[in-house]
Amino acid sequence: MRIDRLKQFITDPVSHLIDIENREVSVAALHDPDLYELELERIFARAWLMLGHESEIPNVGDYVVRLMGEDQVIVSRANDGEVHVMLNVCPHRAMHVCISDSGNARAHKCIYHGWAFRPDGSFIGAPIEKERMHGDIKPKEKLGLKKARVRVYGGLIFATWNIDGPGLEEFLGDMKFYYDMLFCRTDKGLEVLGPPQRLTIDANWKTAGEQSACDGFHTLTLHASLLEGGAMGGEANTEHENAPAMYGVNVSGNGHSLRCIPADTSWSMMAGKTHAGMTDDERLELMPPPGITSELLPQVRKNLTAEQLHVFAKAPPVVGGMFPNVNILFIYSPLRDGTLGSAMVLHSINPKGVDKFEWVTWFFAEKDTPEDVKAMMRAAAAQGTGTSGVIEQDDSDTWPHMSESARGVIGRTETLKYQAILGENRPADWPDKAKVYAGFSKDDAQWNWWLAYHDLMTRQA
Amino acid sequence: MAISTELTPASPSATLTEVPYGSEVHNRISGWLIREARLLDHRLLDEWATGLAEDLVYKAPVRLTRRVQGFSSEFGDTGHFDDDYGSMMARVKRLTGTRSAWSEDPASRTRRFVSNVSVWETDTPDEYEVSSYLLLTRNRADARDYKQLSAERNDRLRWNGERFLLARRTILLDQVVLGMPNLAIFL
Repeated sequence: MRIDRLKQFITDPVSHLIDIENREVSVAALHDPDLYELELERIFARAWLMLGHESEIPNVGDYVVRLMGEDQVIVSRANDGEVHVMLNVCPHRAMHVCISDSGNARAHKCIYHGWAFRPDGSFIGAPIEKERMHGDIKPKEKLGLKKARVRVYGGLIFATWNIDGPGLEEFLGDMKFYYDMLFCRTDKGLEVLGPPQRLTIDANWKTAGEQSACDGFHTLTLHASLLEGGAMGGEANTEHENAPAMYGVNVSGNGHSLRCIPADTSWSMMAGKTHAGMTDDERLELMPPPGITSELLPQVRKNLTAEQLHVFAKAPPVVGGMFPNVNILFIYSPLRDGTLGSAMVLHSINPKGVDKFEWVTWFFAEKDTPEDVKAMMRAAAAQGTGTSGVIEQDDSDTWPHMSESARGVIGRTETLKYQAILGENRPADWPDKAKVYAGFSKDDAQWNWWLAYHDLMTRQA
Repeated sequence: MAISTELTPASPSATLTEVPYGSEVHNRISGWLIREARLLDHRLLDEWATGLAEDLVYKAPVRLTRRVQGFSSEFGDTGHFDDDYGSMMARVKRLTGTRSAWSEDPASRTRRFVSNVSVWETDTPDEYEVSSYLLLTRNRADARDYKQLSAERNDRLRWNGERFLLARRTILLDQVVLGMPNLAIFL
């Protein structure tokens, strides 16, 4: 009986939780240990996951330890100069081979019995070579650390355990057109501004996951303190009638999504002027996209297509995510010297049990940014996002409430509703890339996140 | 790296003179730290902010787990706080002057236990390097448990003729992965 139920669950784990017709997700999905175990297998051991940036490990032997689901992996630069990702589990007795979170090592030697591995994961040997303590059954080539499939894109390190599955390009699909605008726009690319912040949030990982898919609406209420301070436009008392930053273009594909906020809105909010009627070039000169200074603009023009530059001039992508567990903020932000600058931030959401996740936060700048500006961008990012960020401290306070709701037997019979639908409506001058939702930021992209989740969870092979 | 993690604070002079325990200066500074903790625990943030110097540097570098035994190599360039006077005043204003700073509304109930106070004279008259230990407990809503945090704080305190002002604070946290979901409170 129990086995029959299990069989059915494995074949069809989510149809009782996700009502596709009515666009509802059962709150029970936030507190189901069996579902969580299956998510580790079908989402986190299958999707492409972003683990960090190659500027974190510039030299041969440099490594950081990161998470793929609940699996620790070593992300290292090997003698071949390439980035390798391998399971941080010794094939001998399952000890963690790396016991620090970062460093430089030409060989990783397990402290338990001394099995040693190169930065590419290959097995060097066990102590007392003549005694052959790895035995004679398996050759050394079979005794390396388990390797993940790796792809570095825009400097970001992605890995997956789905060795024969779709490539990263296929996984990103049409959204790559927009991600290129964030990650592949300057000659030298991005660099991290230091090691990431890490903290624990007592909530199911999907609470933060689905929000990363263009939940523009929550900013009006949850982040109202910024509205009161005038940072999001509109007046506090009339926020629901007058919220210009809510109108924009949400783009979405394969569960990934980005919110593009009209340059007109940003320019009038920041400078109190309009730049309607200007050409793309004039607009970009007046107000380059977040993270780009006028000095870097020629590089952006060179590296991107006219269509991408048009999107930048009209409505640059500023916030969003990558399915399943990445949150992106490339936003304008005042710097401490009084100039208008930006903060560039990536988060990853790492499950740590059904009711916990680790929230990891990296800050970025383009490599060619002057050092003093980088320091100001890092400060602006820390003040707005991450641990103490005045934007995100309200989010981290909210998600645990949702998980707690799911612990109640009645609470979990409620649903998350994604019924505010804008529908696809691409403006005539917008590139035909991914699904395009122009207008008030509604539930469309977040629902697409759940459809991608549904798709991956029901795919068995 | 600009973060001072030395047992004796970094200084242009070869040696700093430690202010003896029980001396008048040590007592005054210990008293200042205790009053500061009380102001923060009672959420008298506007009053607390009057003790911040306008050239304030307020940082809490992220911590790392490293193989090599070296205290100073355990702190990164990024911070959980990376603030100055202007940004700290904006944080205080958000908490005390808006109606929707949800991360602290309802507010956390906190206790700051401050101990192990060491004080050094500096090359600047009336400025002191001060190191203290902080144990903070934080409880919210109906949670049964506490979120805890321990740290060493390395401060620069300036006597302005009337009172002490905090000119620099570097908070060296003991957690690599913070156990609390945010730092919507001050350390």
